[in-house]
Amino acid sequence: MFARSLSRRHFLRDSALIALAPSVPVFLGRTVRSADITADGRILVVIQLDGGNDGINTVIPFADPGYAQHRQELRIADDKLIKLNDQVALHPDLKPLAELLDDGRLAIVQGVGYPNPDRSHDVSMAIWQTARFDAAEHKSYGWLGRALDAAPAPADGAPHSILVTDRTPPVALRGRRCSSVAMANLNDLQIRPGASLAATEAANDADDLLAFTRRATLDARSAADRIDDVVQSTAGAAEYPQTGLADRLKTVAQLIKANFATPVYYAIQSGYDTHSTQLATHGKLLRELAGAVRAFLDDLQSSGLADRVLVMGFSEFGRRVEENASLGTDHGTAGPMFLAGAGIHPGLHQAIPSMTDLVDGDLQMSVDFRSVYAAILSQWLRVDPLPVLGGEFAKCELLKA
Amino acid sequence: MFTPYSPTAARPWDLRRVVHLHKRAGFAADWNMIQRDLRDGPDVAMERLLAPQTGETGGTPFEELSRVICDAAVESGSINRLKAWWLYRMLLGPDPLGERLTLMWHNHFATSFTKVEDVGLMRRQNDTFRRHARGAFGELLAASLHEPALLVWLDAEANRQEHPNENLAREMMELFSLGVGNYSETDIREAARALTGWTVNRGAFRLQDAMHDAGEKTIFGQTGAWTGDDAVRLLAEHPAVSGRIAFRICELLLGEGVATESMLAMLAAGLHEHDLSIGWAVATVLRSEEFFADANIGTRVTGPVEFVIGAARALELTAPPPSTLRLAEVTARLGQDLFAPPNVFGWTGGRAWLTSRNLISRANFTHDLIEGKLHPRWTAFDAAAFAAAHGFTTAPERAAFFAQLLLGRSDLPAPLLHLVDDLNRLVAAILASPEAQLA
Repeated sequence: MFARSLSRRHFLRDSALIALAPSVPVFLGRTVRSADITADGRILVVIQLDGGNDGINTVIPFADPGYAQHRQELRIADDKLIKLNDQVALHPDLKPLAELLDDGRLAIVQGVGYPNPDRSHDVSMAIWQTARFDAAEHKSYGWLGRALDAAPAPADGAPHSILVTDRTPPVALRGRRCSSVAMANLNDLQIRPGASLAATEAANDADDLLAFTRRATLDARSAADRIDDVVQSTAGAAEYPQTGLADRLKTVAQLIKANFATPVYYAIQSGYDTHSTQLATHGKLLRELAGAVRAFLDDLQSSGLADRVLVMGFSEFGRRVEENASLGTDHGTAGPMFLAGAGIHPGLHQAIPSMTDLVDGDLQMSVDFRSVYAAILSQWLRVDPLPVLGGEFAKCELLKA
Repeated sequence: MFTPYSPTAARPWDLRRVVHLHKRAGFAADWNMIQRDLRDGPDVAMERLLAPQTGETGGTPFEELSRVICDAAVESGSINRLKAWWLYRMLLGPDPLGERLTLMWHNHFATSFTKVEDVGLMRRQNDTFRRHARGAFGELLAASLHEPALLVWLDAEANRQEHPNENLAREMMELFSLGVGNYSETDIREAARALTGWTVNRGAFRLQDAMHDAGEKTIFGQTGAWTGDDAVRLLAEHPAVSGRIAFRICELLLGEGVATESMLAMLAAGLHEHDLSIGWAVATVLRSEEFFADANIGTRVTGPVEFVIGAARALELTAPPPSTLRLAEVTARLGQDLFAPPNVFGWTGGRAWLTSRNLISRANFTHDLIEGKLHPRWTAFDAAAFAAAHGFTTAPERAAFFAQLLLGRSDLPAPLLHLVDDLNRLVAAILASPEAQLA
């Protein structure tokens, strides 16, 4: 009995049926999905805009008299704007995102921040990543790590989360038990022929370092086994721009298409700390962002996987309203977040912050980021937001029921 | 606390502690060094690490060759060659502790070539870290803040009188000296004004008087027409500095959970009394009972660079050494790309080193190292011949030898026992074992 169900599960996992899940008969589709890690195979892809994105020049309040007043050198000319209504426009390099907006696949939440904003990259990023304000908690567990701790363990040894870049996984993904893998591409998780990953004694739940290392070693071996499956079963044919972020999202798409069981992916796009000569740099970054997200969503849609994936983009803070003398901007406060995918209520959400009604020269927030997290946690990851966020937050109406 | 260690029946000067000392304070020891230090005792072994014979004027053959290699790296404009040069110093140089401290300061004043884009400036900064590695922190801080690489990295050029740029001022308080919570936003704004006019000109520090804000500033409650140098002096005099340096040194030399609040406070107080002497604090920690206590052995995750260089040194893979250019690629795959820390905070370290990808890369590295794939001429390691050269010829002898050399213990972890007759694989498997990731 046990052997039969196991081999049946393996048959299903290994067969092409998985990728075709939405088109197979309902009874079979349900069986296929039960081989998934998460109950319904929902996936969250987080894109972190590192360095503090200038939200004002991303979702632009062009009709606000403060815009022309505070942004003399960095103002985007009126005739170049992609106007969404008579108040708000997108940066010209965000055309692919404007198309997603038209297509009902993008939601923009304006003026997202938190009380008493901190202007340190480290502290503000830690607040966003941990949803905690006490510095003592900033190196412990992250909001996604806590959420993933509460989710069922991924099947077949897939990690709970994957950071698709060369860096150390951020604290956002760190939980007490959930596993996180960092990788730049699929090759990074393949054990070379002839090499053998560590032989280790059985890991237990203890918190000591050796037990942790043994668990990490077992995690690594499982991850390597999974990736071998993925590489052999994936043929990536979709068109992506030649950029770093597009490469990373393409890797994510490959893993999803191969039914990799990881529920959370995390990609970082660096370079938003535009203290000087911002215009060209910022435009290039936004172009990379919009092109990559657009290609990623199209790829998933053509693979019939769009319903399973939600993309969330955020930055640790916006930038100061007043530009500086080096044609750049310094650290500020609230900024826009975006959600993309098939499951969102498209369009603009929340009020765009005023550029004249400022506090200490900075924007006032319209909504707390934890209200956005609350929606994602309860409606997408299906996790109780209360313990994750450490408090009750009214969730934004961003996701379809 | 920090009572000097002297061997007792409970804490003997044994192979385990010799291996521990070298893994923590250097890049592991080879067999002859272990035997030598066992014979000579802890005081002599410690003195060799703390005050190595490096040649007073730097005119030794090693230093001369090092300089030639480094000059060539700079001239080539290739940061990878500079990484290879540094790894060469770690692998073959006479002062492993000095290189570990240099790496610590590289992490502390984390500066990345990805933005600086000048190999010569990265080298200059690295030399500065090495020169001041054991010195007074105030001097290291002042020297580091004048380093062109750091000033480029933190947009010093954009900090002008008419519109101060707070990047350098913030990082020098938050990361380089005091830590969050020991300054106000006003202190940062005022320090940024004091730092106006600090620029880089043709690869050298330059004070541009015309860009300097000469007005009065109030930093940490002290008011004056402060210059950038005054601001740095005020930082070095701030009582919080010693706590941050104590934290860094304990992070380097002590295991997870070993440094208590009171130990950190005591080390900080000592640093304060000793003019923030880094060398004093390092010696105090290394010589202490706490350092040689059981709780401090095998309780720290070995960083990628320590891991890679330590493996090569312990196995005496030094003549000829593996290609240090390839070793530089390896450390990057393991998560530590020299001269390219992930951000101004440096590498997270500790448990964060042990991601699946990094562990898989560690396993791939140990395989490649033993198979000779990292050597320019693909010379495979011969574990049997190596063991025999040290006098170990039977299977039990060899197993014990490699367990002692690589893990500081007399027995192999149980899952490795089946490999005792496949020596090269055994050595690779020991290096990839969970036990070998800790020291």
